[in-house]
Amino acid sequence: MKKSYFVTCTLCPMGCRIEVVVEDGKILEIKGNECKKGEKYAIDEFSNPCRILTTTVRIQGGLLPKLPVRSTEPIPKKLIPSGVKEVKKAKVKAPVNYGDVILRNIFNLGVDIVSSRDLEKENKEKKNG
Amino acid sequence: MNDKNPRVIKKIQKTFAKMSFPNIEVSLEGDVVHLEGSVDSWDDVVRLGYQAGKFKGVGEIVNNVKVKGIVPKKEARQKKKLTTKIYPPKLPKKADVVVVGGGVVGCCIARELSRYNLEVVLLEKEWDVGMGASKANSAQVHTGIGEDSGTLKKELCAKSWPMYEKLTEELDVPYLRNGLLVVMTKDTFSGKMPSFVGNFLSKYLIPPFVVRKGKIVGDKPRVVKRKELLEMEPNLTPRALVGVFHPGYALVCPFRLTIALAENAVQNGAKVFLDTEVTGVLVEDKKVKGVVTNRGMIEASFVINAAGVFSDDVAAMAGAKEFTIHPRKGVILLFDKEMESYITHQVSLLKFPRDPHTKGGAVLMTVDGNINWGPSAVEIPDKNGREVSKEEIDWVFEKYSSALPNFPKSSIIKFFSGIRAPTYKEDFYIKPAKNVRGFVNVAGIQSPGLTAAPAIAELALDILREQGLEMEEKEDFNPVREGIPIFEKLSSEKKREQIEQNPLYGKIVCRCEHVTEGEIVDAIHSPLPAVTVDAVKYRTRAGSGRCQAGFCGPRVARILARELGISEEEVMQKGDGSNLFMKSKVRKRGGKHA
Amino acid sequence: MHEVDVVVIGGGPAGMAAAISAYESGIEDVWLLERDYWVGGILPQCIHDGFGNFVFGEMLTGSEYAQRYINKLRETGVKVRPNTMVLKIDQNREITAVNPSDGLIEVKAKTIILSMGCRERTRYQVLIPGSRPAGIYTAGVIQRYINIEGLMPGKKVVILGSGDVGMIMARRLTLEGAKVKGVYEITKTPGGLTRNVVQCLEDYNIPLHLSHTITNITGRYRVEGVTVAEVDSELRPIKETERYVPCDTVVLSVGLIPENELSKMAGVEIEEKTKGPTVDEQMQTSVPGIFACGNVVNVYDLVDDVSESAERAGKGVAASIGGKLERRKTPIRVKTGRNVNYIVPQIIRNKNLNESTRFYFRVKETEKSVGVVVSANGDKLLEKRERIVRPPEMVRINVPPDTLDKIKGDELTIDVEERKK
Repeated sequence: MKKSYFVTCTLCPMGCRIEVVVEDGKILEIKGNECKKGEKYAIDEFSNPCRILTTTVRIQGGLLPKLPVRSTEPIPKKLIPSGVKEVKKAKVKAPVNYGDVILRNIFNLGVDIVSSRDLEKENKEKKNG
Repeated sequence: MNDKNPRVIKKIQKTFAKMSFPNIEVSLEGDVVHLEGSVDSWDDVVRLGYQAGKFKGVGEIVNNVKVKGIVPKKEARQKKKLTTKIYPPKLPKKADVVVVGGGVVGCCIARELSRYNLEVVLLEKEWDVGMGASKANSAQVHTGIGEDSGTLKKELCAKSWPMYEKLTEELDVPYLRNGLLVVMTKDTFSGKMPSFVGNFLSKYLIPPFVVRKGKIVGDKPRVVKRKELLEMEPNLTPRALVGVFHPGYALVCPFRLTIALAENAVQNGAKVFLDTEVTGVLVEDKKVKGVVTNRGMIEASFVINAAGVFSDDVAAMAGAKEFTIHPRKGVILLFDKEMESYITHQVSLLKFPRDPHTKGGAVLMTVDGNINWGPSAVEIPDKNGREVSKEEIDWVFEKYSSALPNFPKSSIIKFFSGIRAPTYKEDFYIKPAKNVRGFVNVAGIQSPGLTAAPAIAELALDILREQGLEMEEKEDFNPVREGIPIFEKLSSEKKREQIEQNPLYGKIVCRCEHVTEGEIVDAIHSPLPAVTVDAVKYRTRAGSGRCQAGFCGPRVARILARELGISEEEVMQKGDGSNLFMKSKVRKRGGKHA
Repeated sequence: MHEVDVVVIGGGPAGMAAAISAYESGIEDVWLLERDYWVGGILPQCIHDGFGNFVFGEMLTGSEYAQRYINKLRETGVKVRPNTMVLKIDQNREITAVNPSDGLIEVKAKTIILSMGCRERTRYQVLIPGSRPAGIYTAGVIQRYINIEGLMPGKKVVILGSGDVGMIMARRLTLEGAKVKGVYEITKTPGGLTRNVVQCLEDYNIPLHLSHTITNITGRYRVEGVTVAEVDSELRPIKETERYVPCDTVVLSVGLIPENELSKMAGVEIEEKTKGPTVDEQMQTSVPGIFACGNVVNVYDLVDDVSESAERAGKGVAASIGGKLERRKTPIRVKTGRNVNYIVPQIIRNKNLNESTRFYFRVKETEKSVGVVVSANGDKLLEKRERIVRPPEMVRINVPPDTLDKIKGDELTIDVEERKK
């Protein structure tokens, strides 16, 4: 049976609403895109939509309580929520540098979770300010 | 007058019947009329109360008339007690005097009582003093021109006015005497009157009358011709014809005054308990014996009921309900400080005929430099009904736009409302309870209640004396209370000194009002500790500027948590249940910067 | 009184880039004053990706973008003063600031760069009626709470406004375990980028209600719910469509306003449309020696554009101190033409510039297949095709120096024209 899926292209401000017509898991037709790039976008977005995972992780002894982290590469969209939970389990101690690996090879995807910034230790003497 | 009583009842019943309310039960206890029954709308309830109060010999009204089909909302019980490292202390078992209600009046009474060798306890159900009408009103110090002669309101207002300068100086509270302009415009007379007649009346007849009426205390009003008027206030509507200037009119910061009074009372030995709600009054042999609260019981032979909008409920607990409070909401719009110089005097427009629903209100300013407009006046059934509607915002804005036609609506930074606590006789009700010795009602406090507070307190103390309270003056009473330094207003020299003494005064936390961390920490550790985000705001102005705590909110929460020894999740905006954050898993804190 | 060549006020993306640029252009005496405990502005709380495509050619998170600039800043001799709040500045470029370690600081600056950024509009500025319980936050504030402080502002959330931060926080709240009941947008179109509609809302099945607003907030201590309603074509709520949505938190994403209190104090002329200073091609304001860049000038869509404007301001102060600016006899006023709402910069004061001037503008209405036309005295100087122009997305056009120098008169106009097919 033929089925239509809709994908909104985010490559440019046009925001084309692209229709992907599918039968038995196979793409039959792509409609509604104003340019060639949109076609590739629609195919990727339909078959394997991926996103960069970004979240925070609690850090011990840091100047701030949370450390922002990201995945080095986009990971499948459907893995993002469980990925966020997985990252929360990581134990991190200050100091941390930008790019430090916080979690290696998440879900065996070959993608690491790395720190998005430097975060120094809490300055114990300077309680205020 | 007893033999005349049945006649009053009959007269009232007859009038009610004419108003098509034949089924309202009317009874009389002393000079207090009691009403029972049900009607269709809240407006009708209020109308009946007023109507009953109009008859000669009627002292007050207890209006128990209900609106059909509406069950009064029960306040949800508070779930959690205020407990922090620094607050509160334990409730004592006994006191000489218990003051119920920490509004400006209750705090003023507590401070007056702290002049004597007495155990004074003030109980406030919210997490700070001044959380009712005392924080949301016009902030005017009136001379008494607005009140009818013969009223207690007028008498106490006129008596208080001369005390204000000294009081605010002793308590280190901002006080600004900028005067009031009562303005007559081409629109003063509306209705059928031809405009030339109205203009003539406005220009020549009304002003001398207003001047004569205004000659009360220290205030020497004078007529201000159009040219001078527009020189004094260049942004005033060109439709202005003439004004009367009342130089005696002043402004005070109402919440800082309330806080200062409470703090000074505490410094002189009184005890203030927040989050302490009176749930019962103990009476034996027609004598008050104490109060019951959510934190326990206190024995006392003298109780002052200064519970504001709830004073009739507290009176009822003592079996001394001799009046009914009908809540009246007033909406106020607050504008950006950027507009500060747009208008510099208080301005009210005269209007005839007077609309009873719009009584009061003016173009005003705060002592901190914000212009504000209002308040409006709407009768509401709910004593906590502080919601502000779109229509009310528009109504207030439009009303005062007639005084300042080009004022930008976009400079609104906040709107809020206060609930006034009038009785149906529309006068202060300051009397010992008729049948409960030692229980004193200080009720019906509405405008000019803020102004009149010092004289109200004196009167309350006189009544306590009459009721048998022995008062022996303290030798070491200190009327002077030093406030927290306002960093922004200090000279450069003083700023330097202040930072040298305490480097936290060099850390600005509130970007709009330039409030420092030093001020905030000092507020938290003041004689009456600030334990909520709003309490910090009312003491320091942190969060009261144009960004409305967008910048300083997270920082103030952190400082509060740190200083009170609690987690951020326990930090409240204004009282129990007003958590800023929802509990997540227990965690260890990270850094300490604010 | 200290004497300093360049004082940059505000250490967000604009301030960092401006200070670096001034330093790299040869000015060694640069101060950067920041009111927070460290520089970066709001970038460190923007943990999501989507930054740096133009500047670094890759998709970075906000935190990374900030870190890269912080690293650059460390390599310079710029004196960064954190925890420092500017209390006063005047037309003579005298600044009073304060911090806990130095106390009161008085500086006479040769040049000043204003880079204070912008702030969020509050519930009061958009006149949302109701009660005033805890639990009403702007999107940027909860972003800080969640991403920096690690605090959860609520569990059941309604979001008003579909600005980018609002949508980003809808996703973030969802991932942190909150239930976002819906995003309500008063206009007919989303306020933010399409990318965010897709990746923040559609990905997480968060409903976006266009032509809707909040008409009341209820709750005495903490938010208990909101009333929402559809609006008519004049954005007035339709009473019959009102419905109650229980929630404990209201998040507002209803616009940003350039933060210009200090600019006004210094006597800088402010544009009505942008709510920011009038600037020339060097980002110099109406007060000589005072420059401005980033969101203080106008709220940009992309941080990359903020950095670009800041870089120009940095070069501008260097050229100004070095006496390298050649004034035109008459300055060129930049005029908005067809379907153009506003343009930055608004004025061209100098000639023989080294590089192209980039004009940023917003259109009034969405239009497809258009030509952006730069003209002077009726002569077309430049045309650039755009597939689509939309009010939420800024349009950029570069004009080379010699093109500007050719202009004889005192006006330049940018129009958006329909293209004939």
